[in-house]
Amino acid sequence: MSRFNNFRSKLADELEIPNDAISDNFELTMHGNKKVIIENHLGLTLYEDNQVSVKTRDQDITIKGSKFKIEEINQYKLIVKGKIKEIVFGMKE
Amino acid sequence: MLIFKLINFIRGYLVIRSDALNSEKVLNILRRKNIRVWDVQKKDKGTRFKISYEDYIKNSSLIDEIMKPVAKKGARFKLEKLKFRRGFSMGIFILIIALYLLTSMIWEVEVVGTSQTRINEIMAFLEENKIKTPLALSNKEAKKLENLIYSNFDYKFVDVILEGSKLIIIVKEKEAEPAQIKTNEPSSIISSKNAIISKVIAKSGQPVVREGDVVYEGQTLIMGLVKKKNSDEFMVVPSDGIVYGKTYYNFEMKEAKRKSINVSTNESKSVYYLKIKGNNIKIIGDKEPYENYNYREKTIKVPILSNLADISLLKGTYYEEVIKEIEIDKTTAENKMKISMYDELLKKCDEDSRILKSTINFSEDDDFYYMLAQIELIEDIGEKVRIYPQTQEKTEEKTEE
Repeated sequence: MSRFNNFRSKLADELEIPNDAISDNFELTMHGNKKVIIENHLGLTLYEDNQVSVKTRDQDITIKGSKFKIEEINQYKLIVKGKIKEIVFGMKE
Repeated sequence: MLIFKLINFIRGYLVIRSDALNSEKVLNILRRKNIRVWDVQKKDKGTRFKISYEDYIKNSSLIDEIMKPVAKKGARFKLEKLKFRRGFSMGIFILIIALYLLTSMIWEVEVVGTSQTRINEIMAFLEENKIKTPLALSNKEAKKLENLIYSNFDYKFVDVILEGSKLIIIVKEKEAEPAQIKTNEPSSIISSKNAIISKVIAKSGQPVVREGDVVYEGQTLIMGLVKKKNSDEFMVVPSDGIVYGKTYYNFEMKEAKRKSINVSTNESKSVYYLKIKGNNIKIIGDKEPYENYNYREKTIKVPILSNLADISLLKGTYYEEVIKEIEIDKTTAENKMKISMYDELLKKCDEDSRILKSTINFSEDDDFYYMLAQIELIEDIGEKVRIYPQTQEKTEEKTEE
């Protein structure tokens, strides 16, 4: 995470405003193990039936499971539906 | 998501198939072009997804280059199709209108609650007033018809109900009133209850009781039989007068010290039924979801279906109630017993009656409050009865014997 982004994230925490409003951090919401919503993403890197990888500014998110279906994808938000077993956060080199 | 899908259904959307091996790349391109993509599904060969028609128009050159639109879906395209099939769509439209008009008309009139002769009279009256089937009748007009029948016939009650394509007229005949005795008919006055005579005011007829006499129910007080002047013969006359008597009423009442009352909890659950010809078929909800409840029903008519057949929706609501035990204080119980006693007394005696003396005693045990009361009244106890003179036939028979 870049220093400036880190500072913006801290500022958002202090001001008690949504983190993604002023920082580039992604926001991940889970609805049970059936649905994942990723906001502030930068695109898909892999889409298979049992795995979905998403690129964000500082991390790569890999969702593992089965019967994956992308319910919606737009510039800001990605909604993945399916049977989620594991979510892995990989730091960028 | 449902709203989003519905909006896109109205505005139209495209189902697109991408055979590219790298489906992620295609999706990222669309994302960068600010195209909203939904329902992405991985297929054996490539990916299938949906985009809005507007996005497709804006980026058609790019989309046509890298992927293939499979189908155009939504209301927009369906309406476009209908433009070419004008005759068919007009036919459907006319059919719906005709169906609505025909089912909103009345095709049958039924009269309930009276004899066949009276039914025929009502039917003839309706025809006279140009009310013939088929007929379109609003609820307001039904009320007018109700008033019209009520004013033209001698019924106690008239109700006009529109049920589907049927007009039901419910009538109730007036009960025959007891025959009143005419003033010039020979009559006597008898006692309507057991009493001690207090005052006798006889305007006509012969009084047969005096002040202080004890009389029983049915005993003659003023007789409609008087002696003719200058003759030994008697003649019958109409009796008239007022006989006041002292009457006594005894009351025994009790009131529980603790009572259970139902208190609403403001919780409610609904159950929906499909009502077909009086039979209820449950659709959603549970029957009797609470131990104690208050149940209310409401019939919802389905616009065309209810007119075509006897089908409607029935909404039943169960309001939860809890049983609470409350203590009743002595004053409240005593007042309540007194009020019910006077209510009962009013039913038994005349409005002009006057209370002379009332003795009320209260007592109580562990469970109940008791009241013992004796009320002494002065009231008009007279009741007019007709005197039937002997018929000529009977007298003839007697002479033959």
